[in-house]
Amino acid sequence: MNLSVVVENLPYLLRGTVSTVEISAAVILLGTLAGVLAGLLRFVPWVAARTGVAWIVEFIRAVPLLLQIFFIFFGLPAIGVKIPTFPAAVLAMSLWMMANTAEVVRGGIQSIPRGQTEAARSTGLSGIQTMRHVIFPQAIRRMLPPFVGLCTILIKDTSLAAIIGVFELTRAAQETIERTFRSFEIYLVAAAIYFCLSYPLSLLAEQAEARLQRQ
Amino acid sequence: MSFSWLAIWQGLPYLLQGAGLTMIISATAMLLALALGMVVALISQLRWKAVRWLVRAYVEAFRNTPLLIQIFIVYFGLPQLGLKLSPFLSGLSALTLYTAAYNTEIFRAGLEAVPKGQHEAARSTGLSPLQEAIHVTIPQAIRISFPALGNNLVSLVKNTSLVSTIGMVELMFVANDISFNNFRTFEIYGAALVLYVILVLTVTKILNLTESRILLKGR
Repeated sequence: MNLSVVVENLPYLLRGTVSTVEISAAVILLGTLAGVLAGLLRFVPWVAARTGVAWIVEFIRAVPLLLQIFFIFFGLPAIGVKIPTFPAAVLAMSLWMMANTAEVVRGGIQSIPRGQTEAARSTGLSGIQTMRHVIFPQAIRRMLPPFVGLCTILIKDTSLAAIIGVFELTRAAQETIERTFRSFEIYLVAAAIYFCLSYPLSLLAEQAEARLQRQ
Repeated sequence: MSFSWLAIWQGLPYLLQGAGLTMIISATAMLLALALGMVVALISQLRWKAVRWLVRAYVEAFRNTPLLIQIFIVYFGLPQLGLKLSPFLSGLSALTLYTAAYNTEIFRAGLEAVPKGQHEAARSTGLSPLQEAIHVTIPQAIRISFPALGNNLVSLVKNTSLVSTIGMVELMFVANDISFNNFRTFEIYGAALVLYVILVLTVTKILNLTESRILLKGR
């Protein structure tokens, strides 16, 4: 163990951490917006839209994120679609976030008893009004714990962007190791930093879940 | 370059081998992670505070750090301390430790979900604590844990793709290898996407069938 190497290179690792946080925030924002939309599309009256969304979501959730990143970054250029590293990684991860958020939204909405919809419709609310004022506000409480869980997985998975060369915490660690050859210490510190990002969210998800169970 | 079915056709035998290896690695890591997870979960039921704290530290450390970094620590970091493992052993142990952390949490919740009356009934029929664990508590905990463990297995199948980064041969590694040689990245990665979908859907189907059987047996 060599602590001075860690201290000397900490600022660089922290710069990587800032990038990791920025990428995570961008992906969570984009992926959640798209995911809520995709999740709600599962409840529209058009069968084609429902099944189309279901298929896309199933497909994305069945493939490893790393392969998605490689397909977009290395595969698409072969048919003329060239996307630079950073947007390629953000696109792949946002698709992942979208698909998983859509599942959380679907699960949350389906957990609300049918009687709620029937009661709302019988008072004269339209389908959209029912969703907006009755179902969604109740469902969102049940969506929260799994959604926060998704965010922690996403933060950890941003490390995959390093493999195609995006600068973030894991990449910063790799570059530091290329200079110092202290892989054990540097990866351990990187792991500790990821832990500091992820653990508070894990606790939050746990608390939200416990609160839900008590109700 | 236009789309080439030939590239996929030529790569298919090698890709299928990779898919087979992905399944073998997933199954091996899952079996090890089930055993480890169960042992650690049982240990966490002991009354000593220090033991519980250690189990919690293990679970949280491995669940809240990226698997990729864990793989790198085992493969690149440990040799610095004199422990040099092959890509295969490094990948397998990282996958096992990571998955076992999740399994521990699932088993722990499962063990705690077994009704207290079961414990009282088992002891009052004269079973020893060990017999009670083997014949009463653990079978029920496994049944309760089954759906969550199944989800974990599906995640594991996808997570094996990460060990390609340290040179362990499986589907992702094979896809990289072929497309690096023939530059047919679109076709080969596309074929790999389809193969992963088939693997995951197959595993999910088997799990669903097993689950309905296990649950029926429990009634």
